[in-house]
Amino acid sequence: MMAVQNSAEKIVVSGFRHFFDTEDGPVQATGEINLKIAAGEFVTLAGPSGCGKTTLLKAMAGFLRPTEGAIHCDGKLVTQPGRERGVVFQELAILPWRTVRRNIGHGLEIAGMPKAERDEKVARLIELIGLGGFEDRYPHELSGGMRQRVAVARTWAADPDVILMDEPFAAVDAMTRLTLQEELARLCAATRKTVFFITHSVDEAVFLGDRVLVMTRRPGTIKATIEVPRRSPGGRDWESFTTDPAMQSIAEQVLRMVRAERGAADADEKREAAVAAPP
Amino acid sequence: MSIAIAPRAAARPLPSGLRVAARQLSGVKILIPFIALVGVWWAIREAGQFPERVLVSPARVWDTLVVLASHGVLAEYISTSMSMIGIAAVISLAIGVPIGFLIGSNRYAARGLEAFLRYLQGVSGIAWLPLVIIWFGFTHTTTLVIVIYTLIVPIIFNTMTGVRAVPEHYALALRSLGASRLRLITDVYLPGALPSIVVGLRLGMGYGWRALIAAEMLVRQGGLGDLIFGARTSGQIDRIIGGMILIGTLYIIVNRLLVQPLENLTIARWGVLRK
Repeated sequence: MMAVQNSAEKIVVSGFRHFFDTEDGPVQATGEINLKIAAGEFVTLAGPSGCGKTTLLKAMAGFLRPTEGAIHCDGKLVTQPGRERGVVFQELAILPWRTVRRNIGHGLEIAGMPKAERDEKVARLIELIGLGGFEDRYPHELSGGMRQRVAVARTWAADPDVILMDEPFAAVDAMTRLTLQEELARLCAATRKTVFFITHSVDEAVFLGDRVLVMTRRPGTIKATIEVPRRSPGGRDWESFTTDPAMQSIAEQVLRMVRAERGAADADEKREAAVAAPP
Repeated sequence: MSIAIAPRAAARPLPSGLRVAARQLSGVKILIPFIALVGVWWAIREAGQFPERVLVSPARVWDTLVVLASHGVLAEYISTSMSMIGIAAVISLAIGVPIGFLIGSNRYAARGLEAFLRYLQGVSGIAWLPLVIIWFGFTHTTTLVIVIYTLIVPIIFNTMTGVRAVPEHYALALRSLGASRLRLITDVYLPGALPSIVVGLRLGMGYGWRALIAAEMLVRQGGLGDLIFGARTSGQIDRIIGGMILIGTLYIIVNRLLVQPLENLTIARWGVLRK
């Protein structure tokens, strides 16, 4: 099926469907999903909660085997986690017993990079994310925004081709989130990684993505794909985003689609509740 | 501590001399119940005019301890008990932590064995004594088996719960950084479970110390339990009470000098389980 593989395609999801085994039998987590992500592309995925976004990302990361279909990365079937696919989680996943420096350098340490080289590379990243002076602090001594910066830096330090991000800024306060988003946009523009980013924030999806995917309610499928025109890396800040009519009209379009799915999901729930407990 | 009671004192940092005095005062506070106990003991003894074979005075116990210490007898009994608990702790950690890891890393094993481990905790080490004496006789081996049995169950149990409490995404994140299974154990599960292992060790040392004294009383091969039980047969109340005081004191020392520093090192610094 995947005989012809375009070399520019980094990730190919074909015929993906997933079911979870529960005590009441299998529950469908996603509908059929087909998706291609080009090398260097920043794809964001927005959708109502519970639509299967995280399930898709976990399968891409290799944490779970799809019930149906396949996921290929660089033409190779994904069967387990790998260094070429970094993951940034919504929950804080940096280790509380490691200092900032040792957390960020963890992937390099695993890869067997000599300490001197590792320290140099980590020091550069620490400067880049503005954590200079905090190298030897433990995570519990940092603010939420700083911790998430460390998590992002740890993934970047390991230099994967693909970075999968599952609502990484959801637990940070709103003001810090804006800064982190701008920093991420700059970091991606500078390093040309392939990024797959899950969010339930429409603005975040449009602000960060080269392409925004909108997912339907559960069992989720991809409802629409919206291309976002390229902006100059220097122009990626929230001020210019909110004043750009083209961007705002895209955001509005995405918002309308996501809301329609949300509304439909609510209606589904009400109907199910009515069936379960007739008046 | 009590410094903060007066709002003005709390607002202004205390002069360092005063702060030292306050700390010394809190040290005295720890001693107050002990002093009160000795006082009550002394008062009862004075009021009741008990004969020497029923109750002796605190001063008499002190004299006996000094005499025993000067003859080197005390050192002998103490070193037997201390080396027993030390050896038992090392062996229990060496065996208990890997077992706890094995059980903890398997969801089904953990669920299946939890009730069993609780059951074993119910059948205390002392309850095993008759059987173990039949197997190993009145030897140090018997004492060690009893103490290790008592120590190892909380270590296994807490290692298991510690491993299971490590958030799943710590391991997932590391796997996507290319970590091997061994890496996950050394970098995620072992440090993640360490605070819990230390808690297990502390609990185990408490139970183990009590089991040790009890086993020594029956096995009679040295140690503080042997000291006080031996003194009973010859009616030496002063030795019995002196031995009891030592048992409590040594327990505090072991806890303060060994277990608490370990706990501070892991728990407080990592902020995993902040007090």
